[in-house]
Amino acid sequence: MTAAPARTSPAGRTRRGYGIAAASALATGVILWSAFPISAGRAGTRPALAAAIVAGVMSIAQLAAAAIGNRESSGFAVRDQAAQWLTGLVKILPWAELLIVAVLVLEALHASRPWHTAVLAVALTGYVLAVHLTETRAGASVLRAQLPLLCAGIALTALSVGAAALPQFMAGTADAAIRIVVLVAAVVAVGLAVPAWLARPGRERAR
Amino acid sequence: MADSGDREPLRRLPVHWSLSAHARRLLVLAVAAVILAVLTRRAEFAGLAAPALLLLSTWQSGPHPDVAVRIHLGTASLVEGVTAALDVEIHGHEPFDASLLIEPADAVLAGDAVHVPGGHPTRSAVLRVVPTRWGRYSLGVLVITFTDRYRLTEGTAIAYLPFVSPYPQAAPMESSVVLSRLPSRLGEHPARAAGEGVEFAGVREFVPGDRQRRINWPATTRLGSLHLSTFSAERTQNVVVIADETTDIGEPGTSSLDLVLRGASGAITRYLAARDRVGLIIFAGRLSWIAPGQGRRHWYRLLDLMISAPGGWDRASSLTRLPRAALPPGSLILVFSPLLDPRLVEALRDLRERGFSVIVIDVLNARPGHDGSRLSRLTARMWHLEQEAVRFSLTQIGVPVVHWDGVSSLDTPLAPYTRRVLVAHR
Repeated sequence: MTAAPARTSPAGRTRRGYGIAAASALATGVILWSAFPISAGRAGTRPALAAAIVAGVMSIAQLAAAAIGNRESSGFAVRDQAAQWLTGLVKILPWAELLIVAVLVLEALHASRPWHTAVLAVALTGYVLAVHLTETRAGASVLRAQLPLLCAGIALTALSVGAAALPQFMAGTADAAIRIVVLVAAVVAVGLAVPAWLARPGRERAR
Repeated sequence: MADSGDREPLRRLPVHWSLSAHARRLLVLAVAAVILAVLTRRAEFAGLAAPALLLLSTWQSGPHPDVAVRIHLGTASLVEGVTAALDVEIHGHEPFDASLLIEPADAVLAGDAVHVPGGHPTRSAVLRVVPTRWGRYSLGVLVITFTDRYRLTEGTAIAYLPFVSPYPQAAPMESSVVLSRLPSRLGEHPARAAGEGVEFAGVREFVPGDRQRRINWPATTRLGSLHLSTFSAERTQNVVVIADETTDIGEPGTSSLDLVLRGASGAITRYLAARDRVGLIIFAGRLSWIAPGQGRRHWYRLLDLMISAPGGWDRASSLTRLPRAALPPGSLILVFSPLLDPRLVEALRDLRERGFSVIVIDVLNARPGHDGSRLSRLTARMWHLEQEAVRFSLTQIGVPVVHWDGVSSLDTPLAPYTRRVLVAHR
């Protein structure tokens, strides 16, 4: 019998494996980054951490389940039914969204730490992109169009960190320097974002 | 065989547009961060929302017309276990990338999703499918997902794939059983009679009227008088394949019916390739047959009959006597059967009494299960003895029964009959 076409090619499997590994690493990273130190968190940190861990594990399981594909069990045994129910639970709920909310809540439960939140912003955005690339089985090249916007977004994040950090500095040369850096960051962000926004498909069609 | 014509018409498909999962995640990230920024009065959360908000700012909803798709099966006929190509042409939605994924039916295997980049008014892709079972069924559905440049908008269109009728995979068979007496019809098997073939038969003395080019000069020189070479005539033979579709037991995919059809398909393919005249009788709820014939078109007719004939057990039918029209005198009869239907056994006895040379290829590879109790074991043993008795009784009347496991080639069980000509007894 001729060999059947593989449901996923070896290159596709490798890419998917890397994608799941990257998403797992980023999910672990954002949970740890936003949760620790646990002792510094306000009331509700531990439940939020538990929710983030569950959501993180399930979101990775969701990606893995999508990679395996549909293997419907035709059995009526309790074990088969339980397996079907568990698979449905993994696939149906938006675990990645739940992880994002849980991580943001964890971060909010800690005292203000602007640079820490900025790093979390980069990692969370990376996690969202990694999940998207893994579930669509696409390469990183599809994000080329989004790159200016991403750069602009990160620049705006830096801007917000600067704004949040301003009250901590005393007025003087440092204050003036930070204001100049913020101004430059804003100009760069707008300069990167506007061309990408103008090149939207809808605008091209309208023209 | 595929039901598609040479050029399938374009089919318009409605496209269902929505936010992509990626956009939903970005939206959740942005909204949650903004809400937290407002609640906690911390500017860094607003900054956290910035990348997601900027990416979402490129979202554009607009009129998205339907898409037109043409799906064409690349091959004229499908065979189980053999990869087939499905050509898909997409018209419209050129700014969007398209991802084509086959959601296969139960008996079909499909490959990974194929990504078709945007930028062209007409785009095409080739998808691979493997039908794993013979019969008639749909290949499944084709899901086409359109995504914009920024991966925020997603359009999904669903196209139903054509119905196909894959043929059973032909069992490998290199050699063939040849009868000792062949009908007087030009073919490729060397017969015992002298004729105009190419196989050397002997030397005889020249008589007036013989062709001079046949003179055997070495023999003439040695014997002192003119001698010439004689050659065997080349004849065809009539082969009738009987496929017993009354019973289907065993694991799906290797059941007795699967083996019957694969074996019959292999024998038909082999004998038609050897320019023999091949006929087919389907022994099922009712009899269906095609008289012996030759050629590629005949091969299609036989295999179409094989997969379209109704199977199963029909108690009302009396099938112990096979029709004369389907059985030319002097035919070789190959029977593929698990020998579980007593009416077929009776029909084989009748064929033998009518003087046909019959070989039974037994495809029974399953046994009734038993629970290990004494009564169950006894029942299984009685069933086994009964089966042995049926096969022994056939052997005793001159009908050889060979067992085929469905894995090896048909040459293995038929080896004792393919190495020498099968003498046709009357």
